[in-house]
Amino acid sequence: MSTVLTLAIGEWRFWLRSRLVLASLIIMACVLAVTSLATITRMDAAQAERLAHQVAAEERFLAQPDRHPHRMVHYGHYAYRAPGPLAIIDPGVDRVTGQSIFLEGHRQNSAMFAETRSGAVLGRFVELTPALAYQVLAPLLLIILGHSLIIREREAATLAPLLAQGVQPVAILGGKALALASVILVMMVPLMLLAIRATLNGESAISAFTLMGAYALYLLIWGGLVLLVSALVRQRGMALGILAAFWVISAVISPRLAASYASVTYPAAGKIETGLMMARDLREVGDGHDAGASTHDHLREQLLAEYGVERLEDLPVNFRGMVALASEEKLTKLLNQYANEQMLREQQQASLVHRLGWVSPFIAIGGASRTLAGSDLAGHHRFLQEAEALRFSFVQGLNTAHAHTLSYADDVNRNRDDEAMQRARVGAENWKVLSDFRFSPSPAQDRLRAALPFFTMMAAWAAGLFVALGLVAGRLGA
Amino acid sequence: MKTVLEARDLSVDRSGKRVLDGVSFSVTEGEVYALLGGNGAGKSTTLLTFLGFLAPVSGLAHVNGKAPADDITAARRAIAYLPEAATLYGHLTARENLRYFLYLAHMRPQADAIEAALDQVSLQPDARGRRLSAYSKGMRQKVAIALALLRDAPILLLDEPTSGLDPVAIDEFHGLIRLLAGAGRSVLMVTHDVYGACQVAGRIGLLRQGQMVGNFTAPSGGRIETEAVHAAFAGRVPA
Repeated sequence: MSTVLTLAIGEWRFWLRSRLVLASLIIMACVLAVTSLATITRMDAAQAERLAHQVAAEERFLAQPDRHPHRMVHYGHYAYRAPGPLAIIDPGVDRVTGQSIFLEGHRQNSAMFAETRSGAVLGRFVELTPALAYQVLAPLLLIILGHSLIIREREAATLAPLLAQGVQPVAILGGKALALASVILVMMVPLMLLAIRATLNGESAISAFTLMGAYALYLLIWGGLVLLVSALVRQRGMALGILAAFWVISAVISPRLAASYASVTYPAAGKIETGLMMARDLREVGDGHDAGASTHDHLREQLLAEYGVERLEDLPVNFRGMVALASEEKLTKLLNQYANEQMLREQQQASLVHRLGWVSPFIAIGGASRTLAGSDLAGHHRFLQEAEALRFSFVQGLNTAHAHTLSYADDVNRNRDDEAMQRARVGAENWKVLSDFRFSPSPAQDRLRAALPFFTMMAAWAAGLFVALGLVAGRLGA
Repeated sequence: MKTVLEARDLSVDRSGKRVLDGVSFSVTEGEVYALLGGNGAGKSTTLLTFLGFLAPVSGLAHVNGKAPADDITAARRAIAYLPEAATLYGHLTARENLRYFLYLAHMRPQADAIEAALDQVSLQPDARGRRLSAYSKGMRQKVAIALALLRDAPILLLDEPTSGLDPVAIDEFHGLIRLLAGAGRSVLMVTHDVYGACQVAGRIGLLRQGQMVGNFTAPSGGRIETEAVHAAFAGRVPA
C-alpha cells in the first residue's frame, strides 16, 4: 500500500471515529437525499403538469367552433416551459421567471418584465435543491472535515513523527488530498444517480456527466482551498475562521454584491417606465382594429394601386385582414425591440455577475450548473423567443385567413344581423395554423459551449491551488 | 567503530536566536550517548538537526557520514525517533498506532512482532486494544518506545524517553536500551535525568546554553559516576 493511500485511510479512520465528523457526514447525506427526492418529485410533477396544460391548451384552441378569425386572435393560446431532465439537479431560474405565457394578438404577455431589476440574481437561494446543496452545503462539509487536516498533526505534534518515518511532505499533502477527494467522490454518488435518471429521461449523457464533472471540479477547488489553509495556518480556530469567511464571501456576499453591481452598471428600465414608452411608440404604429385610421392610408393606397381598383370592396383581399397583418407585423417588430433590449440588459447583468466567477467559485459553478442543466437565463430568454415566434405565427396565420378567406363586405357588415354574423365566420379548420409547442433545453453542444467560460474559471482556480499546494508542501518539512 | 552520528562545530539558530553554538560530539555504532542539559540547553534542537528539521548555520551534523539534507529520506529511515511528548494518535489503539506508523515507514509488521514489542515495554495486554486518548502519559510513552523498537532502525534518537514513566518502567527501559546497544544499535538520548543518563550511557555530553561544557566517559566495564555529573550539571564544579 502506498504511503499516500495509508495516510488517506488513516484520515478516514479519524473521521469515522469522530462523532462531529460522522454527524456532519450523516447530515449531509440526509440533506442530499431529501433535496434530491423533493426536487425530483417537484420537477416530475411540473414536467407532467405543464405538458398536460400545453396539450390541453392546443386541443382547446383547435376545438373552437367556426368564428371570426380575429376573435381567435384574442382567444389566444398558452405556451408552457416544461423543465428539462437536468432540472431535477438545478431548476435554475424556473421559479423566478414563471413557466407559462398567454399568447394573444397585439401583445407580448410575459413574466420577463415582472422581474425587471433582478435578472442577475435569478435562481439564487429560492429553495434547497441538489444544486444548492452541492454549491453551498458541500463546501461547508469539506471545511468541517478538512480545516484541521494538517493543523491537527501540528497541534498533536504528530507531524514530526510522520516526517521522521521518512514520509515526504508532499506525500502527507497527497494523503490528505486523497482523503478529501474520496469524500468528494462519495458526495458525488447522489449527483451521479440524478444524472443517470436525467439521462434515462432523455437528457444527453454528455451534458449530464459534464454537469457532474463541473460539480466535482468545484468541490475539488474547495478541497484544495481547505487543504491549503490547513497547511498554511497554525491554529485550528484561525483556519476555520478563514475558510468560513471565504465561504460567506464567496457563497453569500459576492453573488449579491455582484447582482447589485450588475444592476447599477446595466440599469434596466422599470415596468411603468417601459410601459409608458411602449404605449407612446404603439400609438405611432396605429390600431390594427381601425382600418379607417390615417396610419393605414399608405397600405390602402398601395393595395388599390396594386390591384387597379378604386374601392376597398373591389379588392380581391379583405382590407381589414390586410391591415391586421401589417399592423401585427409592425407592432411585433416594436415589441420585439423592447423585449430584446430587456433581454440584452438582463444578459449583460448576468454576464457581469458570471465574470466574477474568477473571484468566486460559487458564481462559476452556479453559471456552469444552470447552463448545463438548461435552466439558465439564456434558456428562459430562448423560451420567450420561441413562445413569441409561436404567437406571431398563429396570429399572422389567423390574420391571413382573415384577409383571404373572409370578404371585406361580409366583414364590414357582420353586425347587421344574425345572418351577416354567420357569414363573417371562417371554418374551424383555419385554427390549424397553430403549431405544437414543446419547449426543451438547447442542444448539448450549445450548452457545453456556453459553459466553457465557467470551466475555464474553475480550471484556473484549480491550477492556482495546485501550484500553491506544491509550494506549501516544501514548507511542511520545516 | 563506525561513527553513525557526528556533530562538528555545529551551530543552529531558531527564530533568529543561536540555540546551538559550536557543539561537537559523535556517536558510534552500538554506543549509548546521552546529551544532558537543562531546559533550553539545545538538546532537542540537536535531535531535530540530525532529523533534518533544522539546518545548521555553521558546522555540520552528519548521519552515516552525510548531511540529512543530502538524502532526507535515507537519513530519516536510518533513525527511529522518540519525541518527548510521545506524540501518537489518540483516536487509534496502541496496535493501530504501531501498525500505522510502521506502514508509513514501509514496514509490514507481523501481529506477533507488535505484541512482542509491547511486551518488551510492559504495556498491559488489556490496554493494547484501547484508544490512546484513554492512556496515561507513561502508557503512551511505552507505545512510542515500542514503535522505536519495531522500527528496527540502526540509530535511535530519544528525547526525554523516561519522562512520565514510573520507576519500574524506567528500570525496564534502561535495560532495554542496554540490550539494544548490545545488539549494535546506536542511541543518542537527550535528557535532564542525570541518574538515568549515568545508568545507560557510555558517554555523556553536558550542554549549557547551546555549548558543550563537559564530557564524561564510563570506565571500562563500569558506569559514569552520578555524583560527578550531577555536580557539573548543577554548576557546583567546572565540568
